[in-house]
Amino acid sequence: MSSILFLGTASGAGKTTLTALYCRHLVKQGLTVSPFKVSNLSLNSYVTTDGAEIGMGQAFQAWACGHEPTADMNPILLKPTGKGTLQLILKGRPLLDLDEEHPLNRTAMMKEAGACYDRLLAQYGNIVCEGSGSPAEINLQNTDLANVGLLRARPMPTVLIGDIERGGVFAAIYGTWRLLPDDVRPLLRGFIINRFRGDTALLDSGIERIKQLTGMKYLGIVPYEALRFPEEDSFAKTDGILGKGDLHQAFVANLDVLLEKCQSLDFTALDTLARSSSA
Amino acid sequence: MDTIANRVDREIAAGCIGPKMGCPYHPSHFTGQDCTFCYCPFFPCHDPTFGCNITRKSGEMIWSCEGCVFIHRPTVAAFVMQELRMRHLTAADSEALHTLFLETKQRFWHRGRALMVLGATSDAGKSVTAAALCRLLHRQGYLVTPFKSQNMSLNSRVTPKGCEISMIQMLQAQAAGLTNADEHMNPILLKPKGDVRSQVVVEGKPFGDYDVQHYYSEFVPESGKTIVKRNLDFLLNRYDYVVMEGAGSPAEINIYDADIANMRAAELADAVCLLVVNVEWGGAFAYAIGTVELLAPADRARVRGIILNNVRGDPTKLRDGADRLTALTGIPVLGIVPHLDVELPCEDSETFRSMSVRGHGSKHIAVIKMPRIANFTDLDPLYDEATVIFATKPADLVGAGAIILPGTKNTIDDLQWLRKTGMADAIAALKGKVPILGICGGYQMMGRVLHDPQGLEGSVPGDTPGLGFFDAESSWNSYAKRTVRDRGIIIDGGGDVEGYEIHMGTSESRETPLFRITSHGRRKETEGSVCRNEMLFGTYMHGIFDRPAFRERFLGLIETAGTSTTTAAPATDWQTTVDLNLDRLADGFAAALDMKAIDNLLEADR
Repeated sequence: MSSILFLGTASGAGKTTLTALYCRHLVKQGLTVSPFKVSNLSLNSYVTTDGAEIGMGQAFQAWACGHEPTADMNPILLKPTGKGTLQLILKGRPLLDLDEEHPLNRTAMMKEAGACYDRLLAQYGNIVCEGSGSPAEINLQNTDLANVGLLRARPMPTVLIGDIERGGVFAAIYGTWRLLPDDVRPLLRGFIINRFRGDTALLDSGIERIKQLTGMKYLGIVPYEALRFPEEDSFAKTDGILGKGDLHQAFVANLDVLLEKCQSLDFTALDTLARSSSA
Repeated sequence: MDTIANRVDREIAAGCIGPKMGCPYHPSHFTGQDCTFCYCPFFPCHDPTFGCNITRKSGEMIWSCEGCVFIHRPTVAAFVMQELRMRHLTAADSEALHTLFLETKQRFWHRGRALMVLGATSDAGKSVTAAALCRLLHRQGYLVTPFKSQNMSLNSRVTPKGCEISMIQMLQAQAAGLTNADEHMNPILLKPKGDVRSQVVVEGKPFGDYDVQHYYSEFVPESGKTIVKRNLDFLLNRYDYVVMEGAGSPAEINIYDADIANMRAAELADAVCLLVVNVEWGGAFAYAIGTVELLAPADRARVRGIILNNVRGDPTKLRDGADRLTALTGIPVLGIVPHLDVELPCEDSETFRSMSVRGHGSKHIAVIKMPRIANFTDLDPLYDEATVIFATKPADLVGAGAIILPGTKNTIDDLQWLRKTGMADAIAALKGKVPILGICGGYQMMGRVLHDPQGLEGSVPGDTPGLGFFDAESSWNSYAKRTVRDRGIIIDGGGDVEGYEIHMGTSESRETPLFRITSHGRRKETEGSVCRNEMLFGTYMHGIFDRPAFRERFLGLIETAGTSTTTAAPATDWQTTVDLNLDRLADGFAAALDMKAIDNLLEADR
């Protein structure tokens, strides 16, 4: 049994891909694995074989795990309606449109999500979870579901991903760690630098400093690769639903290419972390 | 002989004239300048604050006060004129004039104050924030200049003096009301030639090629810091405010002491710093606190305000978080700035890299998006009338009404890429069917052959066959760069063009030239190549679409996809559009920023 959560310092930091990548790694060890993300805010959704609507990212991650996605993998999907409201989809079925008179019942939602997580853990034994956006939005932390919310409901070892492409990656990793509430901060166990190009030796002094400041373990870099994965923003114009065809195989093939190139990622340490969840 | 002294005598006789609006050179320095003393009565003042001795080609030493605008400040001009008259001084009386100079300097000169815009990331909005602050301080009547010590960009421009600086500092200078942008405003320009190698341009001229490692281990300690200090001092001596822009994040702790673009520059200028964070991607609070807390304590003390930028939706929803951020860092949030829809040249190549289509016109233009595409701001004026497709494979050319081969930082390697991807053949197949324009590197590619015997441009020395559209050859024989501004007219049919050349390598063409140069002293020159029956155009001139004449000519050759129902608005000068947008930008920031607090910060530390 193992569980691990990947958080990002911002949207687009690489959570979806890294979660899929780690799922793929576990599958190649002969394990049965499921992805999980409490909530998605996205117009890009996928319909499971039993007609449930979930986030595209979890569908992709399920394919990486070698099976079809189910509603449990993304219990809550929030779709902007364009009228200033959000359509709440619970376990794949539309429940209601959220507005000021109909706010999200956070406690009930978290309970539903926890039940989904437990089912998946019983079914697959190994869960790789993805956070949402940044976990350090101090104006939203108390209503957060997928990051702080999940960690409070189901504490598990957590890895933080920072994107170096935009610069400021050390500030982002340190700042995110710093702003997490005291009760969940100790769960942050390691960090990964995504989309790196060039000579890694240049990063050493910065990595050392972050290790010292936070006590997190450095788990490696993911190189910059121009590989296409289903990201939440990329399908904005296709209204989300991705039709049948070979596309998902292409995504998984890309994932295998990326896995080959992730020599620097410390999978042994990641595996130890994930297994420590059941200890 | 009409000496400077005679001219100053006549200026004294004419009295205060304020801005000389009718003068063809007006405003030669800045909007609102006083032209009473076109020739400075204090020349040569020999004051190192305002100038220095330079050696002419003849070996003669002369006093140069280039870049000095002191006498053009309205208050200074009025005071000097009044005193000259009261004291019955003429230009010939050098001793008394020197006394007056010292009094004037004592009374009106003070070293400028630096305000620096730092960003938590690339694309945080530093450039536009600095541009907005330039315009807002300029509106308050101050003499303001932009500054960015080190800019990594392939979008550069040529100053009136023929120096190459980044496009964005030129734009900020325009925001500051300056018409004389110079190399001091961006003394180090890094033009990437590959993932880890860049050409380093120093004070507007090519200096050498460095990889990242050697840039930080050799260039920065040996030359970098001196260059930054020299140019900052130059500007602080001449302007009320130097609005500085950092580069990337100032908290790159792995290169902290070698980072001359951020806190080391702030220290040299003793700058008041504002940190801009882009809210759009999320994690803004973490980026902000992480940036501030990773700075060395002395540097952290310089950060006096935080700006949350690019907020979509209701900005008031961020107020709680902003207050908590202030409580944690001790730094006030001085603005929550909404996403502003302004049309300004696009600087960031990361944003550009992911772009595949831009614009909304009925005419479809395929721009070949080469791996080292440069000066793509050339395309900015097209987006209103055309839809630009950034083509990376032959299929992208289907349906294109025209093709543009843009500039590149590496013509030869990108030409190989063109061949490898099949784009070269695809473009050749459309020759004569749709108009094709090559700009700079794209123009060089359109020739018969490219000679690079020493491997100055490409990775491998030798000759490379070009596309063969023009009977022209390009050569790279020395590590030299041509940076010059051009004015010209279209030879066939007339119409003004204005632009600038930035290139290593030169071309010899036996085709009909495209433009006749009208710049002062170069009236016999021509530029570019044209092959009218095949609709082939080639030019070294960047900014070729900025003025309407060539833009209309080129777009006029494109067959429209679908029928346009709107009647075309009269073609406008791109610079006018840019200036209007700078005003909209400044208005947007003025509404969202606590300008009073910023003014207080600048005043308090004086």
